[in-house]
Amino acid sequence: MKRRGRGIACMWYPIGFTVAANPSAATVKVNEDGTATLLTGTVETGQGSLTVLGQIAAEALGIATEDVHVVSADTDTTPMDTGAIASRTTYVTGNAVRLAAENACAILFEVAAPMLGVRADQLEARDRKIQVKGFPQRHLPIGHVAHHAQVVKGQPPIGSASWNPPTVAMDPETGQGKPFNTYVYATQIAEVDVDDETGEVEVVRIAAAHDCGTAINPMLVEGQIQGGIAMGIGFALQEEILFDAAGRQLNPNLTNYIVPTSLDMPEIEVDIVENYDPTGPFGAKGVGEPTSVPTAAAIANAIYDAVGVRVTALPATAEKVLAAIKEKRARQQNKPQSLPL
Amino acid sequence: MTNLTLNVNGEIRSASVPPETTLLDLLRDYFSLTGAKRGCDVGDCGACTVIVDGKPVNACLMLAGQAHGRAVLTIEGLATRERLHPIQTAFEERAALQCGFCGPGVILSAKALLERNPNPTVRDIRDAISGNLCRCTGYTKMIEAIQEAARALRGETRERAVPVPVEGARP
Repeated sequence: MKRRGRGIACMWYPIGFTVAANPSAATVKVNEDGTATLLTGTVETGQGSLTVLGQIAAEALGIATEDVHVVSADTDTTPMDTGAIASRTTYVTGNAVRLAAENACAILFEVAAPMLGVRADQLEARDRKIQVKGFPQRHLPIGHVAHHAQVVKGQPPIGSASWNPPTVAMDPETGQGKPFNTYVYATQIAEVDVDDETGEVEVVRIAAAHDCGTAINPMLVEGQIQGGIAMGIGFALQEEILFDAAGRQLNPNLTNYIVPTSLDMPEIEVDIVENYDPTGPFGAKGVGEPTSVPTAAAIANAIYDAVGVRVTALPATAEKVLAAIKEKRARQQNKPQSLPL
Repeated sequence: MTNLTLNVNGEIRSASVPPETTLLDLLRDYFSLTGAKRGCDVGDCGACTVIVDGKPVNACLMLAGQAHGRAVLTIEGLATRERLHPIQTAFEERAALQCGFCGPGVILSAKALLERNPNPTVRDIRDAISGNLCRCTGYTKMIEAIQEAARALRGETRERAVPVPVEGARP
């Protein structure tokens, strides 16, 4: 019969590298029509990082995301970036973008201050305007200021910046240090049905609570979590690279290296646990890799909850789960009655 | 050589190809329609899905000659210059694709489904796209997007002629 079980798994995960430097750089220029151009060396692989970087630049400049034209990943021309790895783009590249945009904005404030009759530190960038804090009716369109900066003041509003997460190398004596600048945390709960006659495991539901600092784009955060869970389910139940004695892969294609299909996916509930990390751009950290960290552990715990067996080598295929169930039954039958339980 | 004539995205096209040419090779190499992707090339991944006479098929498993005289729809035939197809709009608005390599196949599987079943259940949708492997999304947002497109195609939601960029920024 099918037995239902629930399992929970928690994780923490570091954002960016440790030991090695992993800087990102960015350039932001504000154009005379009030739009901005962002140059970044990082690459978009579908996770939506260029959207998020555009949002960060837009937020820092007080303009709309669609006003930001992002130019990325041209190693001839774009500023250096360590790469779309280590779940670091929003955090590390995002900080570089924010600083670059702030540098461009500082030029706009300097140029706009005498135009508005105030000091530069009394200005803010909002709603596509440079305006006086507390007196938003005293404002100039951002494009107007950018044009003035360029053709009258000879100070084009271009900002460049780089950022490298500060870490402290670990002391060889004590092991103490600060290997990463920030961490994210998550908990996932899996609900599974295990058929105790066949060993087959079906994941019915996954609830995933993830901390990523500020969720700059909640829809993309959800997408990362859902995708990570799919990979975690494959890792837990289906995916295994098999080799022969000579080291040749026995299943080098999708016929027998089985990845989850739409029919293998459970209902997923995503809970974004928002908080503010003061070291991240607008409080953001990251979300990529952490999403698939706790899934397999939660499923393995749910299998134990359902049928009382521990699968200690993944994937928990039906064969392995059934063998463990049979072994457990045999152990129980052979147990001498005189021994204490 | 096999001489064949078929309807591709509403246009009559002809070609003379070696008999072993697959429909995928015909589309990509002879007609330069590269929307159908060559993934596994053995019918496992669904990235090459196109619609032939209303049915979704793996173009890598069909010989070009078998498409002679039939109507083939590829992803290039879906959008017009003015607007995306409602399925594409729904996928865009819900960020249902990430890397996008599986996208043309998933969208065409969804189109074939919605043409024969305008009001599918989630189970129907999962069945319809089960031959399209996706490594990025976990399928969740695709299923939501197909439900949304189904509502739009049934006329239950107002379609936007020009999709607006998705904005997730919080004030």
